[in-house]
Amino acid sequence: MSTLDQRARRNRRDAIVRVVGVVAATAFACWLPFQLEGGDIGLYDRMGLYALVAIGLTLLMGFAGQVSLGQGGFFLIGAYTSGLLTVGLDPDSRLVDPDAGIDPVLAVVAAPIVSAAVAVVIGVPLLRLRGHYLAFATLAFALIAWSLLYAQDRFTGGQYGVTVTKRLELFGHQMSGASHAALVWGLVGLALLLSTTLVASRVGRALQAIAVNEPAAAASGVNVARYKLQLFVFAAALAGLAGGLFTFYAQFLGPEDFVIVLSLLFVVMVSIGGLGSFYGAVIGAVTIVYVEHELRELGTRGSLLGWDLPPQAPSILSLGVFGLMLITIMLFFPHGLLPGLIGAIRSLRRRLGASRRSG
Amino acid sequence: MTTFFQLVVVGISTGSVFAIVGMSLVLVYRATGIVNFAQGVFAVLGGLVTYSLSQHMSLVLAGLLAVLVTAIVATVVAVVAVGIRGRTTHLASLIITVGIAIFAEAVLLAAFGEVPRSYSAISDRAWNVGGVLVQPQYAALALVALLAAVGLTLFLRRTIVGQALVASADSPRAAELIGLNLRSIAVIAFALAGALTAIGGVLLAPTVPVSYSSGLTITINGFAAAVFGGLVSIRLALLGGYALGVVEQLVVGYIDPQYNLIIALAVMLVLIGWRSRGELAV
Amino acid sequence: MTLLELDDVTVRYGEAVAVDGVSLAVAPRERVALIGPNGAGKTSLLNAACGLIRPASGRVRIEADDVTGATPGSIVRRGVSQVPEGRHVFGTLPVEANLLLGAYGRVFRLEIVSSTLRYLRSRRDVRDQLERVYDLLPKLRELRERPAGRTSGGEQQMVAIGRALMASPRLLAIDELSLGLAPRLVQSLAEFLVRLNEEEGVAILLVDQSASLAFSLCERAYVLETGRVTLEGASRDLVGRPEVRSAYLGGGPDAPS
Repeated sequence: MSTLDQRARRNRRDAIVRVVGVVAATAFACWLPFQLEGGDIGLYDRMGLYALVAIGLTLLMGFAGQVSLGQGGFFLIGAYTSGLLTVGLDPDSRLVDPDAGIDPVLAVVAAPIVSAAVAVVIGVPLLRLRGHYLAFATLAFALIAWSLLYAQDRFTGGQYGVTVTKRLELFGHQMSGASHAALVWGLVGLALLLSTTLVASRVGRALQAIAVNEPAAAASGVNVARYKLQLFVFAAALAGLAGGLFTFYAQFLGPEDFVIVLSLLFVVMVSIGGLGSFYGAVIGAVTIVYVEHELRELGTRGSLLGWDLPPQAPSILSLGVFGLMLITIMLFFPHGLLPGLIGAIRSLRRRLGASRRSG
Repeated sequence: MTTFFQLVVVGISTGSVFAIVGMSLVLVYRATGIVNFAQGVFAVLGGLVTYSLSQHMSLVLAGLLAVLVTAIVATVVAVVAVGIRGRTTHLASLIITVGIAIFAEAVLLAAFGEVPRSYSAISDRAWNVGGVLVQPQYAALALVALLAAVGLTLFLRRTIVGQALVASADSPRAAELIGLNLRSIAVIAFALAGALTAIGGVLLAPTVPVSYSSGLTITINGFAAAVFGGLVSIRLALLGGYALGVVEQLVVGYIDPQYNLIIALAVMLVLIGWRSRGELAV
Repeated sequence: MTLLELDDVTVRYGEAVAVDGVSLAVAPRERVALIGPNGAGKTSLLNAACGLIRPASGRVRIEADDVTGATPGSIVRRGVSQVPEGRHVFGTLPVEANLLLGAYGRVFRLEIVSSTLRYLRSRRDVRDQLERVYDLLPKLRELRERPAGRTSGGEQQMVAIGRALMASPRLLAIDELSLGLAPRLVQSLAEFLVRLNEEEGVAILLVDQSASLAFSLCERAYVLETGRVTLEGASRDLVGRPEVRSAYLGGGPDAPS
């Protein structure tokens, strides 16, 4: 058997292992929410939603090398698309006509489509930008999306938001609570499968080439601009889908208080897991949601270590901690927290082993 | 017609702050290659510290101390933002400054609360110029911006320290080789920029109260002004700041005050697109 | 006593070894060359000598003083200046500012205020040195107001050399003198360096891909290949060696000597 055949066999085997592994893990993840209680289900749900966004961002940052500080914008667009379509686009008829708006399932399906469409429109000029210009531009996009939604009081409910009474129903089952979480994590598994398969394919190799050396890749005929745009749109679609589903998690439509912080949190999530790792992104999402939750608990306690906490304590704590996390990760683990820690442990072990041998 | 000129006058004063922040961003960028996302924080810090200190001393002294404190804080920011030699890229530095900006919001919120703060202006009596009311505070801001522009340009072009700053960005490798310490240069750039921005904040607060969350808008507007100058031109940043301030006030006055931020963002995006046109995608 | 000595120096980038246990020495007023193919580690070795990189092992000494891991600034103060590969002039600044910064960098220490005061106090000496550099490189005097980025490649090379000379070095290390320059220009620069060495007593360490240039300019040479010194000795001896001729001098009996 030639080495080429051997390699093809190995690749196929790896692929099977990977698919089986992800399917098994996803099955477990979908079963889990039914074993959880009350508030934990919501937390778990959020972890899944954010994981969706993080997976898309990993593809964008790790493989296209594009730093996006604006994924929160696509999340918001997705949420408002599904929400507004569900309650009815005409603000006057919302309160009176119970049949206003379309089927939630269609609305959720529309969410990633609309986000993707927006991404196509702004992606073409945006992806021409480099470094800090790109970072600011994506941030500006998120802020503009948020500002527009916030400013259009009548249409979007402005700062007061809109309550969504219709529930998401799939095949006759109501998707809320644990079943909603299961649906979300099922989609996370799907996203993982799609992304890892993409990366292993011929497209993926082209992407690796771009990430490593863009000018060289372009010179060898790779259509860099098109690949970047495709990844950007895919990431936007994932974020939009997450937002669309979020509406039926919260049953409420309102501008997330800090769209900037949300966008940056996604970056932190990806940085935790390591820039090129999808599983790492999921870990990152789980970690951040957990930390966020703990901080909020801490902040609303009223007193900490004997000090009286002001009412703004939750904000102070979360802003402070997340700011510090971003700084620390970028300073000491620019290639990702997990890879950095693993590398540090490995080199520590090597050094200890070496001294033991010589000692 | 007086409404128009009134708006222009107010626009020039808010625009002066954008210009000051923009020029500060240019200074830091020219010296270090880093875009400091936390620059707006220095303006807020200047205003809030002045407010707190003014409870115990004269306003002028409070202002001066606030500028000094901010310069010191800026020094710390410099060390953190520059990061680890050889490991921290410019983009990573930008994201670090974003983290610093977020962390700073937490600190400011904790230290000063959420209520926007202000204090008395230079004078409460406005000059009446042909029906248009011009606050002395506006004039002070515009003057400071102008002086800063002149001062910075001379500094970067004529003094050895300024030239060392420019050299460090032109070629960090050669600058190091001839003996310049890049970290010290970054610190000086950040400290100067921080002090300048703080002055802007100190003068701004009487007309526009500042709070822990004001930093972001100020940074965005300042960045737009800086981009007008391609991140490297002091004079264009000054002009851009004034222009942006005026445009915003006109929109706020004639259309809708809610679109304040959106205008700034849209202008910034247009300028970014314009400035990037020379650089090809690959 | 040697002026610059590298003693068993190893330079690593992560896992990759760029320089593997290299020893070399330059005596005062000597002209020494370091040749070798692309990627042999020449620039890394030079950077280790000048303080830009810390060697993983080995020592760097300037006149018996251990300067391993010292800052580039302190190495400049001890009399070793480098003209980097690719020139790296400060493009937006005028030529004269480039030169003056060479002097400023020498007195620059961690703290800017005292460094600047020190520089301002020594203004007259700096001006004298500037005149001396202009005497050595008269073309620069013509170009003093021109932004350095708007000068030709050869002129930029002169600016970079002049900038290094402003620190009154005892050893001038030049990385890739001939890169991108016309042969006639390289020749006149080489003649200038010889004059600098013989009349002003400045030692020269020339790192270059062009072996013929290196051999014609320098009395002694080292050959660096994949991070190790494979040959060293007097130039006229090395020129005769068949492996040198075939690898670096285009082979054949009519290769330059």
